[in-house]
Formats: sequence, structure tokens, C-alpha cells
Amino acid sequence: MASHQRSPAIKGAKVLMVGAGGIGCELLKTLALSGFEDIHIIDMDTIEVSNLNRQFLFRQSHVGQSKAKVARDAVLRFRPHISITSYHANVKDPDFNVDFFKQFNVVLNGLDNLDARRHVNRLCLASDVPLVESGTTGFLGQVTVHVKGKTECYECQPKPTPKTYPVCTITSTPSKFVHCIVWSKDLLFAKLFGDKNQENDLNVRSSDAASSSQQAEDVFERQNDEGIEEYARRIYDHVFGYNIEDALSNEETWKNRNRPKPLYSRDVFPEEPSQQNGNMDKNCATDDPLSVSAMASLGLKNPQDIWSLLENSRIFLEALKLFFGKREKEIGNLSFDKDDQLAVEFVTAAANIRAASFGIPLHSLFEAKGIAGNIVHAVATTNAVIAGLIVIEAIKVLQSDANNYRMTYCLEHPSRKMLLMPVEPFEPNKSCYVCSETPLLLEVNTHRSKLRDFVEKIVKAKLGMNFPLIMYGPALLYEVGDDLDEDMAANYAANLEKVLSELPSPVTGGTMLTVEDLQQEFTCNINIKHREEFDEEKEPDGMLLSGWTQAPRVEKDDNKTVGNGGSSTSNASSAMPVEAEEDDDIEIVPIGKKRKLGEISKATNPNLSDVADDDDVLVMLDGENLDVKKKKKLQ
Amino acid sequence: MSGGIARGRLAEERKAWRKNHPHGFVAKPETGPDGSVNLMVWHCTIPGKAGTDWEGGYFPLTLHFSEDYPSKPPKCKFPQGFFHPNVYPSGTVCLSILNEDSGWRPAITVKQILVGIQDLLDQPNPADPAQTDGYQLFIQEPAEYKRRVRQQAKQYPPLV
Repeated sequence: MASHQRSPAIKGAKVLMVGAGGIGCELLKTLALSGFEDIHIIDMDTIEVSNLNRQFLFRQSHVGQSKAKVARDAVLRFRPHISITSYHANVKDPDFNVDFFKQFNVVLNGLDNLDARRHVNRLCLASDVPLVESGTTGFLGQVTVHVKGKTECYECQPKPTPKTYPVCTITSTPSKFVHCIVWSKDLLFAKLFGDKNQENDLNVRSSDAASSSQQAEDVFERQNDEGIEEYARRIYDHVFGYNIEDALSNEETWKNRNRPKPLYSRDVFPEEPSQQNGNMDKNCATDDPLSVSAMASLGLKNPQDIWSLLENSRIFLEALKLFFGKREKEIGNLSFDKDDQLAVEFVTAAANIRAASFGIPLHSLFEAKGIAGNIVHAVATTNAVIAGLIVIEAIKVLQSDANNYRMTYCLEHPSRKMLLMPVEPFEPNKSCYVCSETPLLLEVNTHRSKLRDFVEKIVKAKLGMNFPLIMYGPALLYEVGDDLDEDMAANYAANLEKVLSELPSPVTGGTMLTVEDLQQEFTCNINIKHREEFDEEKEPDGMLLSGWTQAPRVEKDDNKTVGNGGSSTSNASSAMPVEAEEDDDIEIVPIGKKRKLGEISKATNPNLSDVADDDDVLVMLDGENLDVKKKKKLQ
Repeated sequence: MSGGIARGRLAEERKAWRKNHPHGFVAKPETGPDGSVNLMVWHCTIPGKAGTDWEGGYFPLTLHFSEDYPSKPPKCKFPQGFFHPNVYPSGTVCLSILNEDSGWRPAITVKQILVGIQDLLDQPNPADPAQTDGYQLFIQEPAEYKRRVRQQAKQYPPLV
């Protein structure tokens, strides 16, 4: 940190850091050592033990305290003269409004989820404050610069929605291990231990779904007089044996595919499994339900071992028995949690048994947990490199050195010894629905879709708004918030249940709706086009939103997720959670980061010629190959 | 586009009001009998200032915005026959900041309008009379004026 280079631009700058985690700790340190003297930092999280290996401003004694505050205190100890203001709060709180953002010269993001990134992007646009955005995923990382009107905003390129899989791939024709994980986690686990009333495609069959579904539902209910061993084996035989056999009867499916092998417990277990069962008493020492473990009771120790089919089958039965034996109270309310040891064991075992049936390679519990929980290990060095790059870009922004702004990607497999790949920022996307005002187009059956469908599936899910105001010309169709009085709230609640064409101000083809958000200072216009029919398979929302570059692709991904005669559930198809969390020296990758990285080659290629002319910039890399490798790694 | 600029500004006013507004005041778009909510007409309540003869009254005021808003001010109306020297018999308020040719500026917010009218209640402007009744009493019979003001405040109790 060359202190002699401190420029007035740095010294006088007031900067806002959002996030005091992996990147944030590095960033705060680098900012302080680079001569920044007025730093504000927001983070809603508290310190956890698993942060300590890389979030080096924190010590064990700080566990449970505010990250923002402890980071501030730690840095003030070696830079006592500077001003650091900490906020232990959610950046989405209304206090952090446009006026709050306006006081800063630049905003620096070190966030871990898409939602907060979008929110900060919109506030930066609304307050016209430059944003330096960042993210890391293991060895990969990137820093991008977003200056209103000059460079693209964070949302100019559509961000990936969670990777999803077609329902039929999950329910009938898995070809990768991840399909088995999704089946195990979102269908089987949810069916056995989650909300019974949830729709679930576990039993959807290609032909006779309607007639047999009633029966099929009952299969998963434990009979009153049924022993737990009996029940567990019946479930095993049903999902791995009978269902597979049933699927095999549909010859068409298997013409060009490997036929799966039905597995029955009597074939898998050489003898009565009860004799080999672990000792349940081992688990009695503790009352903590999260410490109940089928691995422990079966004497399996190494989570990195790949279990045999027999071992997986034993884990499956044992885990199911433990759920009913030790955690019966939770049954009906459970949802998969990567920190729930028994749940991870069950999901791993079930996924592996299904994989065995379909001839897919088996995986260890450790790997399965990573896939099911969407976990990627964080690398402290990457965070440090990225934090350094953020500061470099922040300084350029403060000096208004627009010609030298760079998006920089940190690569896992540097070619020609170049670890970093700088790319000139793109211009704003003219059809970006966040930073431009071009209206979007929504195709919808205005006689059938309700205002509620529009609010839930478009305004919230797609546009990412939290407190929308929906207007047709000067008529307000919808608002939400605790501040509304009862009469208005009741009026809007009634509107939600009306189809669009029967609203007090009827919304029909040709109508233009304006949607704003109370907090985000973000407005967008949507042209409505009436369309009578929608393909239930491909357009399950009964709506099609388009109008910004590449957006339809995202849309399609979403649509792919559902199928099978409208009985499908988002549950069944949404493979991975978007929310990033941190845990056991690992960070979960928000898919946003992944796709961002996946875009490297795309992002780079248009710039190749620019780069070649530019002395500052380094030798080009083999973008595409990298991209492919990365994608494989991440999925 | 119908209500383009006016609508955009009114949406901003609506959001700003929802986020923060002075205590005791109400301002919300009109809800029609069919449930339609119209941003061009706002129903408001102005509380009489504490410590004045207007205290205790919660006076209903309607703001009518035109397509030319915010270039032109909204028309602000109390109920017909409202007792105040600067209120026309129709209820329309006469106030410099509401006059396009004098005090109105497009930057004036709904909040400023309502607070301005609250100030006007207790500080009438005798240079600009709008009704004879209120004006005459205010000038000639202060005691009777006071009594009428207090009486009117009682006619408009808080809604809740």
C-alpha cells in the first residue's frame, strides 16, 4: 500500500461498503491501508466460527457479534485516526434510502446474494452513485464497475435464475448425479418429511397419473400398525423398485436410454437387515436432534468415502428410522437443510441408490452435501485479490478516470501465467429494464390471470420488487405495506383475486401498466398483450414476459422446470436455493456468481479487438475452454 | 400516454407520503364505489393546530390534480360553505402557493401544500378575502369569529 500515493480523491472520499464477510474483511483492510479515511460499512450478519479461517478481522471471542462492528474495531486498532461507521443492519432496510446513498462518492459491494445486489444496484442508479460490484466462488472471482449512463448496470445482463431441471428428467430419466440429488431432496425428502399437503411429483407417471394418484398418495403414509422397519422397507421397495418397474413398462421412454434396474430391499440385503442395524442407543447420549446420525449408528466415519449400494441402503433405512424414532415431532414440517446431518445422510443415500439404479456413478456424502447445499469452498486468497481490485477500480471511479475502468475476472486456470483478465466495461443495455425506460412486454390471458398471478409471478419473482405499486394510467391497482389503512388494504386484497380484465380499471390488450417499488426507486412500464392460449408445459405461469436482452432465455429456463399436466410444483424443479449462506469454511455460491463466471467467454469475445489494441491489457486467454471447464466444475 | 408526467409525479408523491408524513394528517388517493383508486384526486385531512381555536378539528380537504400537474397546482377544496376568510363559498382554498401566477412552483410537494393550508387556517390573509361571512367577522367581530371557528372545529371531530 504505497502511502505516498494517496491522492486527495482518496483522502476526501466517503465510501460505503456493503458486506463485511469474506471479501468485506479484506476490503476494509485494504481501503484503510490505501488511505481512505471515511468508510461506512453495513452488514446484517453476526460472526460464526466457520468464518474465522478467512475473515481475518474476527477472532473466536467475537463469535456472535456484529461483523460490521467487529471489523470496524479491528481496523481502527491499526488505523486509529480514520473514521469508520458500522451499521449492523440489512441494506434493504428503509433507512438506507436514496438520500442515504447520495452522501457517498462510491459504493463497494461484497455481498453474498443476488437479491441484495439487485437492491443496491437500483439504489445506486436512483441516487446516481457509482457502484463497484464483486463476487468470488472458490478460485474464481470478478469485479465490475457500474456507473449510471456510462457502463452497464448490474442488471443489464440478466442474472441466472437458479439452475433448474425439467420435471421429467428428475422424476423419470435422470442422467446425472445432480438429478438424483434433486429427486432425493425436493421430491422424496419433501414427501416423507415435509408438508404433506404440498404438491409433489414423486408419483407422477407418464400415462395413468390421474387414476393412480389417489392410491399413490397413501403409499407414503405409515399405517397405524406398521412397524418402522416394515415401513422403511416398504418405502424403499416402492420408490426404488416398484416405481422403476412401473416406469420401465413405458417402452417408449427407454428406446434411446439405458434402462434402469429396479432395486428391492430383499435383493440388496443379503440377510435380514435388522441384525446388522446399528445401535440406536448410541444416539441417546444427546438430546440435540441435529446430532442424530445414521452414519454414527452404523459405524461409518469418513464422509469422503463412497458407500456401496448396500451401505447406502442401510443408511437409507437407518436414517428413515431415526427420523421416525428420534425426530417424529418435526415430521411434516421439515425442509432440507445442509446443516442437518441426518437429512444430508438420507438425501445422500437415496440419491446414491437411485444413481445405482440408473447406472450413474455414486458419490460420497461430502460431495452430495456440496451438491445438495450448493456449496463451494471459499478461498481467502481470491477474496484478497478481489478486494484489491475493488479498491483499484474505486480509485479510478473517484478520479473519474472512465477510460480506464475495467471489469476484472480472476481465473482458476490461468493460461500464459495470467491470473487476471481485464475487460473493458460495456455500455448500458438500452433495453435493460432497470436502467433504461423501455417498456417490457407481457403476454397474458387477461380474462384468466388474476392480479395476484401478475404480482407474484412477474412483479415479485421476475422484477424483484418487494413493495410494488401497480398503476394503470392514474389508477392505482395495487399497493402493499403496513402503512396502508384498512380500507385501502382490503380494497387491494379484493383486487388481487380479480382477473385482469375485471379490475376496477380493466387491464386488457394494449394497456400499459406502470410498476414502481416503494423502496427501490425503480419504475418500469409493461405493455400488456392479450393471448388466449398458453402452453402448460412451456409456459406454466400462463404469462410470458419479454423485452430485455436475453431475458427470454431466463424465462425459458424457468418454464422448463414445470411439466406434467399442471400438477407440478416449483419445489420439484427448483434445484438449488439462490440464497447464499456461509458455513464450515465454505461459501455457498449464489448462482449469480456462477453464471457471471460462465459469461466470461461471452463477455470477453466482443472485446477481443479492443483488448488487442490496448497496451494496458494483457494477453488474451482461451476463454471458451475455461468457460466449459468451469461450468462442469460448478454443477 | 394518459397522465404521463402528472401520474409519474403523483406516484412519487404517494410513495413519499407513505414513507413519511406529518402527524395527524391524512392524504390518500380517492377510492371510487367500484374500488378504483384514482391518483388524480386525493382525500386529505388537516388537523387544526394545537393551541389555536382550530385545535380539535380534523378538516376534510380534497385535492384535484390536473393533467398539467405539476406545472399547474392542484385545486384544493374544503366542504362547501367552510368558514374561513380565504375559502370561497364553493370550498376552494385561496392561497398564494396554490396560485399558478404567484406562489406555485412545481417542486412544491403535497406535504407542503397541506402544511401551508394548516398554517392558513389560523393565519388568514385579510388582503385576499374569498367569502364575506368569514371575512367580515374576522375584521369586525373577533369574538364572534373565534366562536364560529371553535364551533366549526367541533363539527369535524377526529374520524377514528
